[in-house]
This record gives sequence, C-alpha cells and structure tokens, in this order.
Amino acid sequence: MSDSGPVGFRVASDKPFLIGLGVLGGSYLLIIVAMVLADLVFLNYADQPLLGNEMVKQGRHVDSGVTVATEKGRRYFFRAGKNETGLRSSGGAMFGTGLFTATDDEVTLLAVESGRPVTASLRPEVRLSGIAVTNNVATLTTDEPHGLLWGEFIRVSDADAAGWDGVREIADTTLHQISFALDSDGAQAVSLGLSKPNPLVQALRSRDIRFSIKLSLISCTLTTLFSLWVAVPIGYVMSRFQFRGKAVIDTLLDIPIVLPPLVVGLSLLILFRYMPEWLSDFVVYKWPAVVLAQFMVACAFAVRTMRVTFDQIPQRFEQVALTLGCNRRQAFWRVIMPQAKGGLLAAGTLAWARALGEFGPILVFAGATRQKTEVLPTSAFLELQAGRTEGMLAVSLIMIAAAAVVFIVARTLGMKRIFA
Amino acid sequence: MIRLENIMLRQGDFELRDIQLELAAGEYGVLMGRSGCGKTTLLEAVCGLRTVAAGRIILGDRDVTALPPAERGVGYVPQDRALFPTQPVREQLAFALVLRSLGQSEIAARVEELAELLGLGALLDRLPDKLSGGEAQRVALGRALAHRPSVLCLDEPLSALDEELHDEMCQLLERIHSETGVTVLHITHSPSEAKRLAGCHYRLANGRIESDE
Repeated sequence: MSDSGPVGFRVASDKPFLIGLGVLGGSYLLIIVAMVLADLVFLNYADQPLLGNEMVKQGRHVDSGVTVATEKGRRYFFRAGKNETGLRSSGGAMFGTGLFTATDDEVTLLAVESGRPVTASLRPEVRLSGIAVTNNVATLTTDEPHGLLWGEFIRVSDADAAGWDGVREIADTTLHQISFALDSDGAQAVSLGLSKPNPLVQALRSRDIRFSIKLSLISCTLTTLFSLWVAVPIGYVMSRFQFRGKAVIDTLLDIPIVLPPLVVGLSLLILFRYMPEWLSDFVVYKWPAVVLAQFMVACAFAVRTMRVTFDQIPQRFEQVALTLGCNRRQAFWRVIMPQAKGGLLAAGTLAWARALGEFGPILVFAGATRQKTEVLPTSAFLELQAGRTEGMLAVSLIMIAAAAVVFIVARTLGMKRIFA
Repeated sequence: MIRLENIMLRQGDFELRDIQLELAAGEYGVLMGRSGCGKTTLLEAVCGLRTVAAGRIILGDRDVTALPPAERGVGYVPQDRALFPTQPVREQLAFALVLRSLGQSEIAARVEELAELLGLGALLDRLPDKLSGGEAQRVALGRALAHRPSVLCLDEPLSALDEELHDEMCQLLERIHSETGVTVLHITHSPSEAKRLAGCHYRLANGRIESDE
C-alpha cells in the first residue's frame, strides 16, 4: 500500500446544488410563462350571444332541483354553477355550459345536493322583433331586454342584404331597442344575426381606449426620450467624476425608485401648488402631467442603467483618446457613446416599459379623465371599476403586446450590434 | 526629449516626490521598477492624464505641464492596449488624423504607411475582438504613432505576450525606434527586456529615480 495516492477525501456530488439552482430558477420562469399564458387563454376570443335578463331566481334547491319556465323553440344560454351538475328537459339532459333550444315549457336545474343555494344561470337569447331604418340610423327592437349600453359594440351579420355586416357602435339604447348608424340609406333586411364581439375587438374599437392607446404610446416615447436625455449626462458624471457630495446625489437619484409610486404623484401634485398658475394650469390634470409622472420614475431607472453602462467602460479608452488629440467632448462622442449603445438601448427599453405600466402617480397627478389623461393602465382600472373583467383583460393584452413589440425590437437591434 | 523636473505626484496615500529624469531626443529609455512603485502613474503624468502636484514636465523644447494631453504630442500605449472596441483597425489608425482634420487621401496614405511598418495590411477591416494579442499590440502602437508624436509612452507593452511574440515585438520596437526616431519611454519590470532594448535605463524605487547606465 505504499503507492496509494491521497485516499479518504471525497467531495460531495454537485447534483443537489445544480438541481437546487434549476428548481428555484425554473419555478420562477414557469410562473412568468404561466402568468402570460393565463391571460391569453382566459380571454374568450369567440363572439358571445346577445342575452336577456337572468331567469333563475335566487333560492335553494329542493329535492330534484329547481324548475324554470321556458318558451318552446327559443334558445337559452345555460351556465351551471358550483351547486348544479346540469339541466334536464323533456328533450334530454345537458351538462356544462352552452346554448340549447328549449323543447318544452320548463327545464329543471339538477342540484348536486338538496338544500344548497341555486348558483346556475339561465338567460334567453335575445331575438329581433323589428328592424327600422330612418336617416341612415337603424333601430332594432328586441323581444327581451338586451342589456347593452351606449358606446358598446354589436356585431351585425346578414347573409342576404348588403350594408349591414360589421361591428357597429351603439348610438342609442332603450330597454328593448338598439340604434346604430348605417353606411347607406335604404338598406333593408328581414333577419339579422346579432352577437357581442369579443372584448379585444370591443376594446380596440372603443374611442376611449383608442385614445388611451395613442396617449400611452406618445407619452411613453416622450418619457423615454427625456429620460435618456437626462440619464446619459447624469450617468456619465456619476461614473467618471469624483466630487464632494457625490454620495448625497447618489442617494437622491434613488429616491424615485424607493418611494411608493403614489407618493411620487402626490408630491408632484403638491409641488405644482407652488408653481406659477399658468404652469400648473398647463400641467396638472392634463397630458403633460402624464409625461411628468412617468418621467419621474422611469428616468431613475434609466439613470441607474446608464451609470452601470459607463462604469463598465474603462476610463482607459478616454485617456487614450485624449492623448490622440480629443478633448473631453470628442472622447465622449467618438469613443464612449459608440460603446454605450447597448446600454442606451437597455435604458430606453426599461424606461419605456416602466412608463407604460405607470399608474399610481398618473392617477393622482393627472387624474383619470376619459379622452384626456387616460392611459392604458387607467383604462384597465376604469374597466375593472365598471365590473368588466374581460375589458380589463383586453386592455392588459394590448399592454402586453406593446411591451413585447418594444422588447423584441430592442433585442433585435441589440443583437445586430453584437453580430455586426 | 523628455525632462522631468522635481515632479511630485499624489494619489491617496501614495506619493512620489522630487522625481528627476532626462531622456535625450531620439533615445530609447526604459523605466524599471516593481509593481506598485508608481511607474504607470509617472507615465500618465507625462501623457497629461494626471495632474502633477509640483514640478515641470518638458517635452522637446516645450513646457507641457499645463497642457491638455491632446496638445502634448505624445503617443500612449497603455498596458491593456485599450483598442476602441467599436472601430475596425483602419479607423483606429486614422483616429488621431481625423481629429486633426487631415484630408481623405492624406489619411489613407498615412494609414497605408503605418500598416506597412507594422505589418497590419491584412487586418485593416477587422474589429479588435478578432485580433490576436500580438496583432492588437501592433495596432495600439500604430494608433499611437499615427500623428507622428515626438514621444512614445509604452506601458509594459510586452507583458501579455508569449516568448516567441515577445522577441518579434522587441525587433519591431527597435525598428520603429530607428525608422521614426521617436523618443521612447518604455516601462517594464523585466530586466532582460530592458537590457535588450534600452539605450538608457532608469529605475524607480522608493519614490526616486536612479539612472543606471
């Protein structure tokens, strides 16, 4: 045993460590992907039938279930709740959710258990009982209350007559009537199909949301430009120069990041009470307030990014440029900025994405006035407040799409730089 | 000519004082010393990248102590070469010339000349990350020589090269020196390098410069 090497020392396997890394990182990635996918899957992209009022009365199930009166030959939309297994009529049984045609004068909701509260929903499909056209305005009369509001959209389809098909904005409503503008007069129709377009179409057609998309895109772009304009010099100074009070300035620059966003908005609002009147009239509760609120937060992130970018570029480059005949300005533009392009792109993307999602400060400082200071997060909030989860989701999808486009563009440009 | 008179340099706790050095025009001077003794700091002071606390720096017949680096007429090759990562070799060689607003043809001719001298002909359109250590070193030399400086400051130019390249580069430095007649201040910690290249040896130790002929 004289030639044995070092024995008795064994190093533990790397597997648990690597698995740990994978599990922790992987679970987070999974949540990110699942989160976005859930949004995409949850939204019902199909058109919804136009439905009348709820027919199921509140109460409890007795024995076999609750019966609801129906009209023979009419179509109904049934959704089973958590206390029902389905529905039975003389024509057979139905489980789950969907449309069916009544074959009898009543249907029975099948209870999971007697005594539980009724949770199912049964609504009649709205049928047209009259079509009138006057002065390019069509007025449809329905046999059941249609539940649509002014400003909402309805999809009209007609196989026979031209001039009717399309998504129409409702110009006027009563309980049983819907009016909307037609392109040409004299269009006649005998029967029309009516349905509610999916929330995404509704959102994209809505004038309010169109405005908020426009305002969001413009304000985010302005915010990004302003942020970069400020972040490049601040980042450069903080990275290259040593001076008294630098630590204080460093802390000040972080304030917008650590401060709760709402407080940023409130602070701006209070600050503008001390401003000259013409200035606060121009800014507060107007679109400039949106840009300023976004800028205050987004810029802080851009400054961080630019500072790190400049920190990673050694000072040697400037020094060599100086000996070759540059002054500081020339060294900055000729040698440093070309190297900072990637960081500039990253800072711009970050600022844009931050600005797109900014909500709290805008709500406080710019308000949530439709067609005036409404940006996409405000739209989502207003939709939610109005009880339209689907509308909120549609607005969220628009924001996801906008963020994704900017991100992909930035990444592609970044890649080009690397592969050039 | 390089003349340093009573130079004092301060950087935090580190201090060099009463530094004297004289290198005649066209000489090849090697400044030696251990790591951390202040060689690089002194070289930066000569280039104007560091302000001196006291003393005078004279290059040629000019007192350059108060001049910005751009106006001193020095070529500087830092230890890490610091080639501009976004510029192809041709642009790096032309960098100093473009700043001096030379004409297109003049710049092209000078770049051609430098490429000839340093053997960079085939590399002119490459980016620095596609260059080997020796090639990058030659580009850095070319960039520093482009504007015909009277003084060339080299900060350990051979330290990152392997044996074979080392020898090649020594020959190149000798050739550059004899062909251009530039005054060279070369810092290193390798005695063999110093022996091979130098006309004049200086040693920086304990905050003083000793000249050993």
